[in-house]
Amino acid sequence: MRREGLTYAAILLLSVGFAAAAPAADGPTYGVVLKTLANPFWDAMAKGITEGAKEAQVNIFEQAANSDQDAETQLNICNTMLERNPQALIASAINSSNLLPCMKTANEKGIPVVDLDANLDPAVTQRAGVKIAFTIGSDNIAAGGKAADFLAQHLGSNAQGPVLVIEGLAGNVTGEERAQGFKAELAKVAPGLKVVASLPGDWDASKAANIANDTLQRNPDLVAIFACNDTMALGAVESVFAAGKGGKVTVIGVDGTTDGVKSIKAGRLTATVAQLPYLEGIEAIKDVKAILAGQSVPAVVHVPTLVLTAQVLAQGTNPYLKYVK
Amino acid sequence: MNLASLAMRRPTALHSLGNMIRLESLVVLLLLILALSLASPYFLSVSNALNILLATSVIGILGFGATFVIAAAGIDLSVGSILGFGGVTGALAVNALNLPWPIGIMVSLLAGAFCGLVNGLLTTRARVPAFIVTLGMLGVARGAALVLTNGQPVYGLPGPMVWLGQGRPFGVPLPAVIFLGVAAITHFVLSRTRFGKYALVIGDNQNAARATGIHVERHLVALYTLSGFLAGLAGLVSAARVNSGDPTAGTGYELAAITAAILGGTNLFGGRASVVGTLIGALIMGVLQNGLNLLAVSSFYQQMAIGAVLVLAVWLDQLNRGRGRA
Repeated sequence: MRREGLTYAAILLLSVGFAAAAPAADGPTYGVVLKTLANPFWDAMAKGITEGAKEAQVNIFEQAANSDQDAETQLNICNTMLERNPQALIASAINSSNLLPCMKTANEKGIPVVDLDANLDPAVTQRAGVKIAFTIGSDNIAAGGKAADFLAQHLGSNAQGPVLVIEGLAGNVTGEERAQGFKAELAKVAPGLKVVASLPGDWDASKAANIANDTLQRNPDLVAIFACNDTMALGAVESVFAAGKGGKVTVIGVDGTTDGVKSIKAGRLTATVAQLPYLEGIEAIKDVKAILAGQSVPAVVHVPTLVLTAQVLAQGTNPYLKYVK
Repeated sequence: MNLASLAMRRPTALHSLGNMIRLESLVVLLLLILALSLASPYFLSVSNALNILLATSVIGILGFGATFVIAAAGIDLSVGSILGFGGVTGALAVNALNLPWPIGIMVSLLAGAFCGLVNGLLTTRARVPAFIVTLGMLGVARGAALVLTNGQPVYGLPGPMVWLGQGRPFGVPLPAVIFLGVAAITHFVLSRTRFGKYALVIGDNQNAARATGIHVERHLVALYTLSGFLAGLAGLVSAARVNSGDPTAGTGYELAAITAAILGGTNLFGGRASVVGTLIGALIMGVLQNGLNLLAVSSFYQQMAIGAVLVLAVWLDQLNRGRGRA
């Protein structure tokens, strides 16, 4: 009995210690619901949010699901967050519908809702009667366009030859916009470069490698590959090198992942259009503070992107480089 | 154990409250509530209590199924995947096939029950250990959900189905009502009906159960089917909550369901089980998660906390039982 009593006492003591250690929140607190922290992109976003909060002198109450697929757990986290009555709810929904019940409650409580990294589908959101203060994210059409601009500059605007586009998962808006932006811009800035194939690589490195391999069989004179994310670009690069065409085919990705940057430094991947989640986090907090102060913020806020090449990385002078994590 | 002592033990085990729920679990739950009330000013409120019930509902419903299977010394590792499969089939029935919503609900429930039936038949007729059969089903049901949907969530359910997950009659979230309703029914079945008592007898000693004339195989099939059915129901509620049938929904929930049952005092090796205990076990996890969320503790630490509480609760139980014997 004594041992058992001791154990209960220990639990109680621990709990009280916990209580004492709980952060006392004074001043405005913004609630932030992320997808997951077990991913470099979201980790960089979280760090940006922390930095933004420091600059804006507000408190952040931040939670994430364990994986970027655990939609129901994320809804639970969001509901619990509202119990704390934050001044604003900044959320990266795992899909376009899972957080809508929570966002609706936030609307009812008069808490402004921010769509962080543009995960919502405006039509679905409107049908559910949920109001969003603003959406912040990268402009994916512009990111594709930047890749085309870089290619024209890299090969010359008079360059001729076949180009391969590796799309994302079929039906995914992000991938579609990037591919679309790339093709439209390429037709304008380098009409001699013709897209001979545009195939879905499902965000998967080995699928992209197979697509690159097959296209190289059919078009041995391929001059460039644009992949809608770095994972696929890295898969495609391996096929290019395996076919003995390393350095002869320009390969461009999107995202600016750590692995992508490593590959550029190693002289394999030519370039990537880097998203800047750290900057996005800072910007989101700044804009939330603005709307709470009664200022107006555009309904869609676009965060800049940065074309990373071996040269840009070596020079190290671009001001946005500090946001590449 | 011989038959005479079996017959002697059963009624006391079922009728004494001390044995029906593990008091340690209740104490742990109350201590947690006390500590979190002190730690966070947002914890102790009606709306947060409803929020906890809502968040715990899906795991809880799975936990009640696990309680029956474990009572009979079985194990079901497939309920998380069946949850995903059930949600997806119901969503596809109303979306891809344009069937009316009551059919969608039936499809989810029957898909779950069917997976459970297959588990039961393979375990009893093919004599493959339940651990292996349900581990296989964990893969098959998850894979089937991914194949059917091409890996993508199926968005948009009809209003009445969404209401199951998002409705709030009299301000009470409907999943919480379903959760407590299922608790009441399964508690009655486990503690007051022959079906439940036989499950416990089988879990205590399968050969003895057979010797007393219980149709053990048929009973086990029914238990696995019940577990699958409840997983289908959980899948329906889960899909309705997020308004989409997600093929990855419920990943890892099978372990949470088993944890809820064990935290509530159900013996992993059968013979002792309590639905009220599982309810308390699920609430321990729900309260802990909610409290840690309110305190802004990272989700990484939350998993550690739940693991630690599980071991702690069972350890307290061991201390108690050791004392009883001494």
